Amino acid sequence: MIEMRDITKHYGAVQALKGASITIPAGKITALLGSNGSGKSTLVKVLAGLVSPNSGSILINGQPVVIRSGNDAQARGISTAFQDLSLLPMMTVSDNLLLGNEPRTPFGMVDREKSRQIVKDLMDRFKIRCSPQDYVQSLPSSTQSMLEIAKAVHRNPRVLLLDEATAALHMDEITVLFDILRDLRDQGLSIVFVTHRMHEVFELCDEAVILRGGETVKSGPVTEFTLDDLVYYMTGQRMAHHAPGQDVSETSRQGQAVLEVKNLSLPPRVKDVSMTAHAGEIIGIGGLEGQGQSDFMRAILGAKHKTGGSIRFLGEEVAFRQPAQAVKAGMGLISGERNREAMFPDRTIAENIFAGNAAVGPRFRFLPKKFVRKFSEDAVKTYRIKIGSLKDAASTLSGGNQQKLVIARWIAVGPKLLLLDDPTKGVDIHSRLEIHQILRESAQKGMAVIISASDMDELLEIAQRVYVFYEGRVSGVLQGDSMTQENMVSLMMGFTNEKADGLLMKSKEAQA
Amino acid sequence: MSAAEHRDLIPWYHPKKLLISFRRSPPLVAFALSALLFLITILINPKGLNNRFIGSLILLTTLLAISSAGQTIVLIGGGMDFSVGAVMSAAAIIATYTMDKQDSVLIYVQVLALSLLMGAVVGLLNGFFVVKIGLPAMIVTMAVSNIITRLQYVFTSGSPAGWAGQKFVDSIIYRFFDLIPSIVIYALLFVPVVFWILNRSRFGKQVYMVGNNRQAAYLTGVRVNWVIIMTYVISGMMSAFAGILGAGYKATARVDIFGEYAFTSLVAVIVGGTTFSGGVGTYTGTIAGALLMTVLSNLLTTLGLPQTMRDILNGVIIILLLMLYNRSKAVRQ
Ligand SMILES: Nc1ncnc2c1ncn2[C@@H]1O[C@H](COP(=O)(O)OP(=O)(O)OP(=O)(O)O)[C@@H](O)[C@H]1O
Ligand SMILES: [Mg+2]
Repeated sequence: MIEMRDITKHYGAVQALKGASITIPAGKITALLGSNGSGKSTLVKVLAGLVSPNSGSILINGQPVVIRSGNDAQARGISTAFQDLSLLPMMTVSDNLLLGNEPRTPFGMVDREKSRQIVKDLMDRFKIRCSPQDYVQSLPSSTQSMLEIAKAVHRNPRVLLLDEATAALHMDEITVLFDILRDLRDQGLSIVFVTHRMHEVFELCDEAVILRGGETVKSGPVTEFTLDDLVYYMTGQRMAHHAPGQDVSETSRQGQAVLEVKNLSLPPRVKDVSMTAHAGEIIGIGGLEGQGQSDFMRAILGAKHKTGGSIRFLGEEVAFRQPAQAVKAGMGLISGERNREAMFPDRTIAENIFAGNAAVGPRFRFLPKKFVRKFSEDAVKTYRIKIGSLKDAASTLSGGNQQKLVIARWIAVGPKLLLLDDPTKGVDIHSRLEIHQILRESAQKGMAVIISASDMDELLEIAQRVYVFYEGRVSGVLQGDSMTQENMVSLMMGFTNEKADGLLMKSKEAQA
Repeated sequence: MSAAEHRDLIPWYHPKKLLISFRRSPPLVAFALSALLFLITILINPKGLNNRFIGSLILLTTLLAISSAGQTIVLIGGGMDFSVGAVMSAAAIIATYTMDKQDSVLIYVQVLALSLLMGAVVGLLNGFFVVKIGLPAMIVTMAVSNIITRLQYVFTSGSPAGWAGQKFVDSIIYRFFDLIPSIVIYALLFVPVVFWILNRSRFGKQVYMVGNNRQAAYLTGVRVNWVIIMTYVISGMMSAFAGILGAGYKATARVDIFGEYAFTSLVAVIVGGTTFSGGVGTYTGTIAGALLMTVLSNLLTTLGLPQTMRDILNGVIIILLLMLYNRSKAVRQ
């Protein structure tokens, strides 16, 4: 059992933790919850030895200890899957998994045969589908997350810390992971599980600890909480109830067709996909990991080049050679892969918010300082991004706030078509609802929105129509009454035949 | 905010915080080191503290700062420009050859147009090869730089190429109040342009974006290749401008006369806090770096060491400086 008591940590004027406490019992999974910037990752990093707290104490089985470094933590059996991943992108999967933990021959050499076996077992256990020789940077973010977890588990920890490990994972991967975690729990491990997906808390966790503003505000067995309670303790407000689909009738008054895609192909990932998006519509793209969703979006944006089919944007046939042309024509892409595809980590918060505008406006016209500041100040206020100062580097923000930064960047520019590729990854439940509301409002003002998400519930909640991808094709389109979890799951598995009693509409019918 | 909290935010209230904010601001460090080296120079040779010495310090600093402007922009965009010296030399040759001891507005315009055109073309070649061939920028620009230097030989047959007009020379080396060299007038026109490009234009923002995360810039709608090529074009033109001023300073020009500026400008930029990896840096820092490099070179001259010793010492100090600056920064610790 591990106890952390009254931990404080501040960065300059920013107070990340002010007296946070947590008890982590053995043989249980403890959910660590809180809004973006509430200090979860900081608390995790304190225990992992990466952040030294300003005050507070850590007790292992009642004995006070000091954890000075990552090695200290490992020596005490604490192993961590970090939110911003600790993998080395330029190294192979196999090297990353074994790093610092290679099996040795009696002569102290790396035992290659054994290494291969260990890596294979680990990848089988986590159902990671890639070659051990692949470079980590070439893998999709969900696979990277799985690797990060596998790496942590491989070290045979007594305490396993998972910081938003599921944020990038898809349904099938989550099922695999949860089974493994339950196993580990039953073997007596202490597991800390940070997440923003509340249903996971009820599905998996035994205990919950809730942080708000760097303080522990509530803890107890999960069974003692309702969803409303959790949100209440996280935010200090009761959640405003808002039935999904409520606004649909208003927003679906169909405007002009903004995007018409016909038989788009981009082998091997996308085959023969058709889709139409009207002004005012929010369209969902669902499916398991790697079924072509990302490539489809990138083909629309011109970041990848289609080999067949046609794209009409605002009534005109287009074939963008690079995203700059698409952006100029009125598109925007929000990527959930913020480190790789969205953030400018060394630039200021203000510059990051202004990035979308900076990309489209006149290049050499004088740009008053005030203009940029006003632009970003407004966005920070509108999207309630928790920051110290606009001049801080964007990398100092908590994960969810970084994601909000990227979203704010585009909504503020107001494109005609907004593509969102898993945009709420790592965003807390309250902000996620806010973002959904912002998207609905933008749609009502005439924006067409296409959103893909790894979290199925999110799509069902926000989209008016969901195209489900399976192996590069649309296996079905859900709309209205047919938008249920069961239908979605069967389409995700590739069952296109009218299993769900004709409720599944083929894409053609939906467009008619 | 309480008084105590307020005090916390002012770095110079605590010596330790002062040190930290100092380390975080390379321009400050460079200015401070310059002051230190200047003091040492004066202590070694107190007689050196006269108007002439300070005037030439200002002149050389200004010339180096102008020469390093393009390099700053290229480096922020994630590249490197080793042709700065060759372009400067070529521009100086164009200037002295065209002027041929004469002064007139028409000639000035000719010099400016020809040199800037030459600089732009070289920049275009640099940028094009970097983007299209995908070789490391250092190698591409070095190769281009070699070609330019060869062409200078062909053009001048190796002998000095004419003289700059006297009025033009005066416009650079005249001393106001017997102290401040008139080259600062050019700087007063030039520096705002650099600040405008880097800090007050969308183009500047795009350069920082491309340098910091190229993929993100691409997906955000920045014409990444165009931006990179433009940084080299701008660098070529700025180097050409610096070369013209250099011609005025030296009054005459020969092949590769400013060759060393390729390296010196790079060091000035890095010492001023711009990183090799791109996305980070300021022109203020470069100006501070230029001052530091000039003061350092003065100090080494004052020591009266033989040329080889000076070169070695110069190299060692530069390596130390680069080590000081390129320590990895702690992000999200
Ligand atoms: N290195 C740092 N420098 C400055 N501020 C920091 C740093 N690391 C964290 N912070 C600040 O500390 C606060 C807590 O951050 P932390 O990453 O722990 O939040 P979190 O609860 O994990 O949020 P999220 O759910 O978004 O991941 C935030 O306000 C963040 O901006
Ligand atoms: Mg976090």
